[in-house]
Amino acid sequence: MMKQMITSAGLVAGLVLTASTAFAEYPERTVNMLVPFGAGGGTDVPARFFAVEMEGILGQNIVVSNVEGAGGTVGATQLSQAEPNGYNLGFLPVGTTTTQPHLKRTSYNADSWIPICMVSQGPFYLVVAEDSPIRSVDDYIAMASGDGLKFAGAGPGSMAHVAQLTLDNKLGVTTQYIPTKGGGDIATEINGGRADATAWFADFGTKFGWRALAVLSDQRSEQHPDVPTLAELGYDTQVSVWFGFFTQAGTPDDVVNILSEACAKAVETDSFKENMAGANRLIRYMGTEEFGPFFRTAFELNGKLLEDAGLVK
Amino acid sequence: MDQVAQAIAQFASVGVLLALIIGSVWGTIAGALPGIGTVAALIVALPFTFGMSTEASIALFLGIYVTSVYGGSISAILINTPGTPQSAATVLDGYPMAKAGKADLAIGWATFSSLVGGVFSLVVLIVAAPLLARASVAFGPAAIFAIIVFALTCIAWVSVGSTIKGLLAGVIGLWLTTIGTDDLTGYTRFDFGQPALMGGLSLIPVLIGIFALAEVFHRAGHYFAAKPPDVSNVGFRMPGLGELTLRIPQFLRASVIGTFIGILPGTGATAATFVSYSDLRRSSPRRENFGKGEPDGLIASETANNAVTGGALIPTLALGIPGDGGTVVLLGVLTIQGLTPGFDLAQNNPHILTGAFLLILIANFIMFGLGALGSRIFARILAMPEPILMAFIMLFSFVGAFVVRGNPIDVIICATAGVVGVILRFAKYPVAPIVIGMALGTTFEGKLRQGMISAQGNFVEFISDPIALVVFGLTVAFIAAPVIGSRRSGKRSV
Repeated sequence: MMKQMITSAGLVAGLVLTASTAFAEYPERTVNMLVPFGAGGGTDVPARFFAVEMEGILGQNIVVSNVEGAGGTVGATQLSQAEPNGYNLGFLPVGTTTTQPHLKRTSYNADSWIPICMVSQGPFYLVVAEDSPIRSVDDYIAMASGDGLKFAGAGPGSMAHVAQLTLDNKLGVTTQYIPTKGGGDIATEINGGRADATAWFADFGTKFGWRALAVLSDQRSEQHPDVPTLAELGYDTQVSVWFGFFTQAGTPDDVVNILSEACAKAVETDSFKENMAGANRLIRYMGTEEFGPFFRTAFELNGKLLEDAGLVK
Repeated sequence: MDQVAQAIAQFASVGVLLALIIGSVWGTIAGALPGIGTVAALIVALPFTFGMSTEASIALFLGIYVTSVYGGSISAILINTPGTPQSAATVLDGYPMAKAGKADLAIGWATFSSLVGGVFSLVVLIVAAPLLARASVAFGPAAIFAIIVFALTCIAWVSVGSTIKGLLAGVIGLWLTTIGTDDLTGYTRFDFGQPALMGGLSLIPVLIGIFALAEVFHRAGHYFAAKPPDVSNVGFRMPGLGELTLRIPQFLRASVIGTFIGILPGTGATAATFVSYSDLRRSSPRRENFGKGEPDGLIASETANNAVTGGALIPTLALGIPGDGGTVVLLGVLTIQGLTPGFDLAQNNPHILTGAFLLILIANFIMFGLGALGSRIFARILAMPEPILMAFIMLFSFVGAFVVRGNPIDVIICATAGVVGVILRFAKYPVAPIVIGMALGTTFEGKLRQGMISAQGNFVEFISDPIALVVFGLTVAFIAAPVIGSRRSGKRSV
């Protein structure tokens, strides 16, 4: 018994020692940070701001590489297969990590990752064109139950689609979903009067001149304090888009700890706050302890929602 | 005028001018290198903007954006390889002209055409940007679909020798765009169980393979047997004034088409060059010479693709809706700089838009200067031993294929396209239709299906868009006119 304990203690000590010597100097070379969407896009911009800060804190170069395609799943698949040594990290959004695995037969799922931290989160707004006859959520419900309402967004299973499905459920209406290739196409359809509403981020006004009916959150946003929450209007609906910093499952704990501490510092820097504010993006930090369970819940909830909508094959 | 003064006050500095020049030089080089296109050139420059002022970043990016479109024509003319997809149509008349010993003149035509297109679209921008931006959203899925159908008729014009072979190549091009995830359903198509194909094929690796690599293979094949004629007289020669004034109508048509298509979000410069080529191929009095080194063919392509740069900036800056791949990255840079292009910027800071227009104007003239001065450098490059030059082209091709999406599969796709390209060439299949199909396929299918979903499957409702009907009418007229014309002349001769 005693002998066994000594052996296992020795084993543990040995493991800790080798682990700490192997990773004592982490990071000792350039770190790759994968962004599964194009350069200059909605995921890429906060990722690059974040990478600049992490570089300073970790003392190593961080190379942002964009691997695009199929809702971010091409990049995420590549990342999930990389060696879990802390040199191949990812800046991934909610859709790529929690909806796409249900929609496509991706080789990765919730178990493939260690979510290190959440970096940014912004609620969706239910928006219409400036000159739209829809003035309120009540108008929205009336139009959807009357003549019918077209809700534009990116492809099926995108976060805008998740928002549309959630709204239909909570408001008790049926709207027609118009899938597009995303971003610019959505704006053209709304401004051209061929679609009535969409879910968009806080820059709906400055970017496209749109009007918000409500924010899909339980609290009003500081950016738009005059926009009511759906909760206030009696519908408990929250849909937001978040971005997190991920590594593969199996990454050594001390590497995760180093990255986790660095992340906590990075989101607190003045330059990061300034950059994010300039780009109209909200910082939302969640540490490893909190983000892990949050991520898993989101993964399961979105899976259920898409399954109920008949989108899971 | 007030805006112009404000814009000059904000942008006139040595740093901004320097950034514009550096951007223009890099843009021209990147465009000319087979493989490094507009988007890749912008991505490479992206990290530098973190340490730069907003004005200088805008200048750097506009410089790259404008000149990279032009740079592609240089390699198209000299080595039969479009440096960027926007210059794919330039090959059709540029390379034959160079082979005929008039490479310097071809560069002259391309450079001057680019300048005309760029400046024309800018004038339109400055005069009517807000108005056009508002009009652009009236072009719904049906209208864009109709314009793409019109552009596809270009396949008939470029299928020299055999129309059937051309159509076949065009259909293959269209089919290639259906590989990968279908954006509108989320289903994956034709991936053969390969996760790497889930993201689909990107145009650039295929284009590089089909043109650049196939050219290398083709020359290697001839190296030990009969050598193809060398391109001689590399340099820069302006066409004579008489030649230029004779072609004013062609310059105008190509400028209008380029600017107009540029304004339509998501259509892009490649589509514009093919629409313009189709149009001039039909309307030019010298239409019989197309494909044999006719300057009008160069005008069609190079005027239109540079006119797009100005046109595409209208929805980008005024509506926040990117007009093509390059403007997506441009929007990103502005966002990093804390500017949100779109509604607010156009309403409250219109002088930034005016400043951007002035920068593009200057960039167009820098581009002209670079073309005129740089031609000696091109001559030097082409003078290096062919095996070394070809090795460099292969190197840049693979690097370029990889850089676009960072996906290793693109290198394999590029190599495969190269082998297929050279086989097609020996079998006398025209390869341009494959590129046309691929450049237009995604929008063609996407707009059709988006419109049909919106019309709940009712084709009549989808098609009953007045703009679409007009464009379809024009397409039918364009196809029918030569057929009817040849019938008539046939009868007369009997």
